[in-house]
Amino acid sequence: MSVQREFHTKWGMVIDLDKCTGCGACMVACQVENNIAPTPDASDMTRVLTWMLVYKLENKQKFPNYDVAYLPRPCMQCENPSCVPVCPVVATTKDEEGGIVSQIYPRCIGCRYCMAACPYHVRYFNWFDPQWPAGMEKTLTPFSSTRPRGVVEKCHFCHHRFMAAKEKARATGGEPMKLAEDAYIPACVEACPTGALIFGNLKDPTHQVAKLSHSKNAKRLLERLGGKPQVYYMSKRQWVLDMLDNDLGDGSHGGVTGGGNHG
Amino acid sequence: MGRRAFIGLVVGGTAGTLLTPIPWKLTDDASIWSQNWPWIPRVPNGDFELKPSLSKLDNSGVGVNVVTVKGRPCAVYGNPEHPLSRGGISSLAVNEAELLYSPSRVQSPLKREGDSLIPISWDDAKALLAEKLKAAGSDVACVSGDDTGSGTDVFSAFVAAAGSKLCFYMPAEQVDAGRAWQRLGGQGMVGYDIENADMVLAIGADIFESWGTHVRNAQAFNKANPMGGEQAMRVVYASPIKNRGAAVADAWVPVLPGSEAALALGIAYHLIQGGATSGGPGFEAFRSAVRSGYSPEKVQQATGLTPEQVADLAKRLASAKRPLVIAGSSFGQGGGQNAVAAGLALNLLLGRLNKAGGIYALPEAPAVVQGSMPRRQILANDFVDYMLKVGAEQTKAPAVLLAYEANPAYALPQTELMAQALDKVGFLVSFSSFMDETAAMADLVLPTPLVMERTEDMYTPYGSGWVNYTVATPVIAPVFDAVPAADVLLQVASGLGHNLGFESFEDVVKAKAEALNAMGGFAAGAKAEPWKVRVGGGAPSSSGVSDAVQAGKAWVSMATVNASGLSLAKAAAGQAAAPAGGEFPLVLAPLFELNVGSSKVAIPPHNVSTIRDTEAANGHFFVRMNSATASKYGTGQGKQVTIASKTGSIKARVSIDEGVMDGVVAAPLGFGHTAWDKFAQNKGDNVSKVLTVASEPGVAAPFWAGSMVKIA
Repeated sequence: MSVQREFHTKWGMVIDLDKCTGCGACMVACQVENNIAPTPDASDMTRVLTWMLVYKLENKQKFPNYDVAYLPRPCMQCENPSCVPVCPVVATTKDEEGGIVSQIYPRCIGCRYCMAACPYHVRYFNWFDPQWPAGMEKTLTPFSSTRPRGVVEKCHFCHHRFMAAKEKARATGGEPMKLAEDAYIPACVEACPTGALIFGNLKDPTHQVAKLSHSKNAKRLLERLGGKPQVYYMSKRQWVLDMLDNDLGDGSHGGVTGGGNHG
Repeated sequence: MGRRAFIGLVVGGTAGTLLTPIPWKLTDDASIWSQNWPWIPRVPNGDFELKPSLSKLDNSGVGVNVVTVKGRPCAVYGNPEHPLSRGGISSLAVNEAELLYSPSRVQSPLKREGDSLIPISWDDAKALLAEKLKAAGSDVACVSGDDTGSGTDVFSAFVAAAGSKLCFYMPAEQVDAGRAWQRLGGQGMVGYDIENADMVLAIGADIFESWGTHVRNAQAFNKANPMGGEQAMRVVYASPIKNRGAAVADAWVPVLPGSEAALALGIAYHLIQGGATSGGPGFEAFRSAVRSGYSPEKVQQATGLTPEQVADLAKRLASAKRPLVIAGSSFGQGGGQNAVAAGLALNLLLGRLNKAGGIYALPEAPAVVQGSMPRRQILANDFVDYMLKVGAEQTKAPAVLLAYEANPAYALPQTELMAQALDKVGFLVSFSSFMDETAAMADLVLPTPLVMERTEDMYTPYGSGWVNYTVATPVIAPVFDAVPAADVLLQVASGLGHNLGFESFEDVVKAKAEALNAMGGFAAGAKAEPWKVRVGGGAPSSSGVSDAVQAGKAWVSMATVNASGLSLAKAAAGQAAAPAGGEFPLVLAPLFELNVGSSKVAIPPHNVSTIRDTEAANGHFFVRMNSATASKYGTGQGKQVTIASKTGSIKARVSIDEGVMDGVVAAPLGFGHTAWDKFAQNKGDNVSKVLTVASEPGVAAPFWAGSMVKIA
């Protein structure tokens, strides 16, 4: 059984699916920030590392009643993560104030149990050593170490930015554990031209995400599985909200219902 | 050994193993060693700095902050202080640091010898360029893919000094818009005050992807639609496919590519019926042209929209407090002038000239380079028309063609014919950062630094609602042997005895900043937001241009020019007409999606993973059509097809997309690169091949929105 820890700070994201155009700026910003090596061919998406991935949702109606929405999918940083309890080597933990699910590359033995456990496909395995075109390795950022073949990796809400924000708060006499709303935001949130993603502390009532996560239009992905993601999605369109629960259009949801008993 | 000793040994050994740190240390070390291979690059240590710069990979004109560690750029963020970014950034611009080391970078000057390009020194390259230009005399032309930088001024001045008038812009939305504005009698350039509009009707114009200052447009939409808050701006998108912008719009109106003008004038018809008048010159002529050529029935034939749907759009506009109409091509080029002119006419009918959330007449950049051609003069030249005539041997090919920030061998319509025309050029010079299709066929390739490696300026990109000027200074010295194109040309010009008034491009930029001071303006920032100043909010202290741009800020001016000469007389050309049909029954809707590049830059390495396997996979790419169209033409999901037009054909697979109109094939631009690198190559085909140039009704200028195709 997994034991859930409570934190004073719970970093979360609210993504407005009525504002995302699916332009891909968040995906590229994430790759650049976190030193994900480029790939010459993305035909096989199981071999491509996309910590942030934008899915295309369609309402399955014919023209002209067709509708489309784009769903950016970072790591959900679940309150009750499926991946953490299954890791045999404690390479992924949820034990830091802020509630970000960590991924400690040097500990990872590449068993991929976490990938099987995660219902959101947020975890990626390095099937190959990362390769940058000659010279491009000079543009690696100092933010995220490079990962070798045989290691699982995933989004961590740009944790380095959290560290930097805390350091800055200490240096300027602020409170590192009570960061202002814009003191720490991940690269994807910062880059988004339509502001479809916002970020903050879900437990701080002055932060927008705290208010919005309780909105009637807010919902989490596959909520019935009991993982309690810290990423909320908003839409005024009912078909989009239904899809977040993998609604198959006939009242069923595919797979097993209930949950929260994993780990 | 006795039993007791044996047990003692085992127990002791077990305890010893558990107590000694050696196995744990070895295990830990093994995991570290096995993850620290020397061939995996290490990340740099050290603090990072943010240095302001500018991205010109697309039209957005975003000011950026470059993240540098020990002086090396490693990432690019949108600049929150820059009014065209407000922190946002496009999926292209966000790559700019990585592109410094793109495998496609041209690393030294190259000269053609037979079928190959061989490296030469800069001295030899300049000597060769000077020799060819001298021999050519006035038989020289240039084409530029940049209409915001002073670099183009240097090129046009050079061409003029040689005695030629042939300076062209590459086809782009802003070129058609500039011509349309002039046709209506507009002075300067048109600006759109999107931030203050409460309703935006985008007809064709893909305002979040390809049209104008698209990052700024997206930010305006963002701020006016706060999550969970009051909606202050409604957006209606009219486009042939429910594209990315339409996905977030309040309403989507399907409209055939090429019939944007018909829709806009159809709306004008209803507004006029409701009593709208521009109160300005030319209204009577406009009214009768709209009544005779754009009646609801004719507009229905042309657009597929019922009179009720068009009337509803008119009603929405009329009932909005601050409506703004933005019309253009749905793929950022080839839409001609009629759509833009009709969109402008709607704004005038709605009384939106010089009004908050409306349109403004903005001054053009002052000329500082001696003999440079005014924008108006360059707009009068049409590169597509010229190249078609060169291809058909109706016009002599130039002895020297200078291509600056332009890739005509890939990005022109009827690509194969255009490539043949380019082949006729005596001496093709490509000033390019990348080994693109034009560089690959050029006689001389001169590597240009990226914006991050040079001094570059930008004056008021199309779409902006106010004059703005940004200057980028080098963040890093050129990583390859590249020299700014304008500097090369200034040196060669002085060698040929042409006096352009400057010795370096840096001086050109300084002079431009100096000349702009006359307009009066301020440094934009979080407390000096142009859209608020436009409506009398805030009074930022005025600033000299140099001070603002040296601090990495955008300098903004609220200056406008007299718009009293605007007339509606020529705003409704031609007649609404249905697509021709016949042998080519399907309308092609090219898709401009920035993540797969622009006309200047091919798919950047980090963008490959943004392409879905329903868009391109295993070497081919997908064209999109709805299921009704697919079954009508006997094809379906995943089937291979050849899409043919009068001028060429492309191979693709079909992806069923119910967001595409009946009778339309949507096809993404940006694929089918033959040059560049492994990240851009072997992915689909180039849609530009099947774009067919026609003569725009009532204008007689090239126009290729609404190209007709068939499934062969």
